[in-house]
Amino acid sequence: MSQPVIIKSNRYGINLILDKTTPFRELLGHIKEKFLESDKFFKNARMAISFEGRELTPEEEYEIIDTITQNTSIHIACVIDNNEIREQLVKQKMDEYDSMAAGNTGKIYKGTLRSGHVLESETSLIVIGDVNPGAKVVSAGNIVILGALKGTAYAGETGDDTCFVAALDMNPMQIKIGDVIGRSEDKGFLASLRERRKSTAEPQIATVSGSQILIEPITKNTFNNI
Amino acid sequence: MSEVIVITSGKGGVGKTTTTANVGTGLAQLNKKVVLIDTDIGLRNLDVVMGLENRIVYNLVDVVEGNCRIKQALIKDKKYPDLALLPSAQTRDKTSVTPEQMKKLTDELREEFDYILLDCPAGIEQGFQNAIAGADRALVVTTPEVSAIRDADRIIGLLEAHEIKQTQLIVNRLRMDMVKRGDMMTVDDVCEILAIKLIGVVPDDEQIVISTNQGEPLVGTDAMAGKAYANICKRLLGEEVPFLDLDKKENVFTKLASLFK
Repeated sequence: MSQPVIIKSNRYGINLILDKTTPFRELLGHIKEKFLESDKFFKNARMAISFEGRELTPEEEYEIIDTITQNTSIHIACVIDNNEIREQLVKQKMDEYDSMAAGNTGKIYKGTLRSGHVLESETSLIVIGDVNPGAKVVSAGNIVILGALKGTAYAGETGDDTCFVAALDMNPMQIKIGDVIGRSEDKGFLASLRERRKSTAEPQIATVSGSQILIEPITKNTFNNI
Repeated sequence: MSEVIVITSGKGGVGKTTTTANVGTGLAQLNKKVVLIDTDIGLRNLDVVMGLENRIVYNLVDVVEGNCRIKQALIKDKKYPDLALLPSAQTRDKTSVTPEQMKKLTDELREEFDYILLDCPAGIEQGFQNAIAGADRALVVTTPEVSAIRDADRIIGLLEAHEIKQTQLIVNRLRMDMVKRGDMMTVDDVCEILAIKLIGVVPDDEQIVISTNQGEPLVGTDAMAGKAYANICKRLLGEEVPFLDLDKKENVFTKLASLFK
């Protein structure tokens, strides 16, 4: 092996590939060096760590973690044994958590959000009331507004573009789902007010279609695809 | 039971001070004991609109700092003995007073007055926090312009967060001619957007400029704005008063104008 220590990052944190033959003390020195180099990159990151390439005693593992946390601002959340069953379990747990955040649990907020009011949630959100211009609703999951959406709504804030925003009266200033963002037309305030008056409001839903936000009426079939 | 009412708007220049002066004077005309407090420290002008500037000796900051007794700082109105003004300080800033001090002050004034009206500065910073600290009720003034309305919406949210029980709306400087042409929002538009109870509509009236420059509130006069303010005062006392037909005057005028065409 050309390098005694290699840092690889994976979905949950970092994987340390350690050389078998280097003496442990020397290896610790290399680890310290490596992490100091990349401290800026990992700044304040919270991550899981796993080891590969070498059998470590619990004391040795502890010493490595100690070296990392003492010399950098990285927070080691947990140590993952590098065996596949374990990884599968972690993956499953993480996915479960993601899907829970994205859709299956939610919070209800009752009341109208006025300009300057920001409502944030790590789960889906149901707002019973209006979201006025200048107000903002942010959720890691879906957003349902039982009222008029006239302000801004960010769904799937952690990057999930399968989320949706639904409202009884859909008139958003801006909608973002995952990383896709859409904004209202550049019409004058009075003109859009008039236009809104003319048409009767119907419940609509915003989803991501391609790389655009698509707003369409809610029908019986809408939720079959979500 | 005395009531502390804050007159606020968020945006500047929509008519908070004019409203405070006229509503205060109007309540005094209805035989209520009223005190007006100018909370716009550093930019005082309620005294000017009331025509009492030349009588100022002590001010709000003097009272709060204990340089004088409240009585010494209160200026009695020229016409109505039951109407008093507590002027703001011109040489200090908003941080000279804390919300706690304002609450203590308004609570002391409750003992002597039926209505304590607070003229709030524009903005949402400390001056606003001071003004709403002791208030039971708020009058939100807006003009039918989107910028004023957006700010009013923010203010209403902040008032709700401060648990001010009663918040009512005054739509100021409405121009019926523009509304009719479709160039200005209607009162209904404004009420729909802000979704709070309307307590008055004041038309854009050049008499307001004249009265302000004279330092004589026009509430109770025959001017349209004067009538509108008088009605607001009655509604504040709980009376049911129908809203003025602001179109009337315009009709006469347009008829006259069409005669000469």
